[in-house]
Amino acid sequence: MTTSQDTAPTSPATGTTVLQTIDVAVHYGGIKAVDGIDLVLESGRILGILGPNGSGKSTLLGAVTRLVPLTRGRVLLDGEDYGRTPPARLAHRGIARTFQTVRLLPDLTVRENIQLGSDLKLPRAARWRELVRRAVPEPVTEAIERTGVGDVLDLFPGELSYGTARRVEIARALASRPRVLMLDEPTAGMNQPERLEVAGLLRRLRDEGLTQLLVEHDVQMMVDTCDRLLAMNQGRHVAEGAPADVVRDPTVQEAYLGKRWNRAADR
Amino acid sequence: MNQWYLSHEILIQGTFISLLLALSIQVPLRAGVFSFAGIGSYAIGAYTAAILTIREQVAPVVAIGAGVLIAAAAGYLLALLVARLSGLYLGMATIAFSLFLGVLATNGGDLTGGATGLFGALSTLTTAHVITITVLVLVALAASERGSFGRRVDAVREDPQLAVSMGIDVNRVRRRVFVISGALGACAGGMNTLLRTTVSPETVGFHLVVTALTMIIVGGALSWAGAAIGAVIFTWLPSVLQFVGEWQLLVYGIVVAIAAVYVPNGLLGLLQEGWRRLRRRGRRLPAGGASVAAAPVAEDPEEKLAALGGPTAEARS
Repeated sequence: MTTSQDTAPTSPATGTTVLQTIDVAVHYGGIKAVDGIDLVLESGRILGILGPNGSGKSTLLGAVTRLVPLTRGRVLLDGEDYGRTPPARLAHRGIARTFQTVRLLPDLTVRENIQLGSDLKLPRAARWRELVRRAVPEPVTEAIERTGVGDVLDLFPGELSYGTARRVEIARALASRPRVLMLDEPTAGMNQPERLEVAGLLRRLRDEGLTQLLVEHDVQMMVDTCDRLLAMNQGRHVAEGAPADVVRDPTVQEAYLGKRWNRAADR
Repeated sequence: MNQWYLSHEILIQGTFISLLLALSIQVPLRAGVFSFAGIGSYAIGAYTAAILTIREQVAPVVAIGAGVLIAAAAGYLLALLVARLSGLYLGMATIAFSLFLGVLATNGGDLTGGATGLFGALSTLTTAHVITITVLVLVALAASERGSFGRRVDAVREDPQLAVSMGIDVNRVRRRVFVISGALGACAGGMNTLLRTTVSPETVGFHLVVTALTMIIVGGALSWAGAAIGAVIFTWLPSVLQFVGEWQLLVYGIVVAIAAVYVPNGLLGLLQEGWRRLRRRGRRLPAGGASVAAAPVAEDPEEKLAALGGPTAEARS
């Protein structure tokens, strides 16, 4: 690992494998939340994970970010097994994530919440300087701009609408200038214009080379945004491939989608 | 003024020492660690200072410093021991640690003076020294509440899992917090012993847990300033409450109950909330509603609904 994460994400080689899981399983007693998932996340691409409620999408994200212990299988970052790396180290290796629910710190302003994302890259000297003079690092300003939350920086999370709070979370994840961004239902609870806005943002980030793993319910958004889809049901792999093919897949439709999503693929 | 100072010197010393003791509980609490190990550290500091001063006649800085180092080391070991505990269980384990030290003191034979304790720990420690040390501690703690240090501790308290995903080693923060708590408690204990020249198992007992917790609950748990408010109130209240005589404890109880129920963030929380409101009003007034117009239009219905007490988007979806 070099320190190249300190610069903005670039796309040296789109399509090389950044992150990989091999036969990953997470069992809680008899419940097989995730059971034998292989996935490959390629640089500069968005991989979407599709599946009904309780199909193990979020648990898989937890396993990949090491917040949930693996029952079986291997997780590789740049070809190197990180199954024993302390979870806190992953952020330093360029993996950032958001959660299914809003998890902003209630006593910090929006600006401070976003700054929390960039704190891990803050040099020691800058930490001490900040005690005397409030300074907002450049990655934070950039994340604020990109997510369009500049108007609410001095508010507290409790004063935000749900959609705005979710955008602040994306901003916080971006403020660490990650190589890999993992989003757990980023547009849940948002209205349609907000959804489109976030989808557009994710595509722009992808075009700049940011690798993403996206867990989402909104099938239309998944088809429009992702380069590749992986469908799950009851913890197991159901289908994988180009978004349009996956949503047309009969098994996927039966498990989750319903016939009407043929239209989503045709658009 | 000078007359007043002389007749209240004991209370002034007591205020600063209680403050350090309260901080030894407040610092862990700020990181979401419910630990009373600071009380045990107070005992370590108190006895170490007494033993070294009486037997070796060392300077106060050495006597107190030795206690601080021992307690910090004990804090680190304790942190390793209770690494998997949290919440009430952690609180119980650390109270056990503190009670255990009390038992050690009572049964320590000649070394600790048994149930009667140790006498004649004469030193050159003055009130000015105590105040200086406390102020230095406060400056350091105030700094730790600002900037990235403060944000990261907040994250560890509010949402440890989120903190981990932000690259914060939560276990390391917890270990550090135990070490700092141990040092603060021992510092308070050592200084108290040297000022009073005596220590006994009674003076390092369970009542300190109650005292420190009371100060933090009433003052506010999330900042050094809350502990300071609590320390001032509960050191000076007894002398103010002399006229109620034996009803003092009842008044105490009522004050704590009211604070716990109606001002969960303490007096400091009350002040901060007031300050926030003032600032918000200040922000809205001059621009004539500019801050409302600045919000994205798409959010308006959501906000209006929330303002009317309607369900949030989260609840509806």
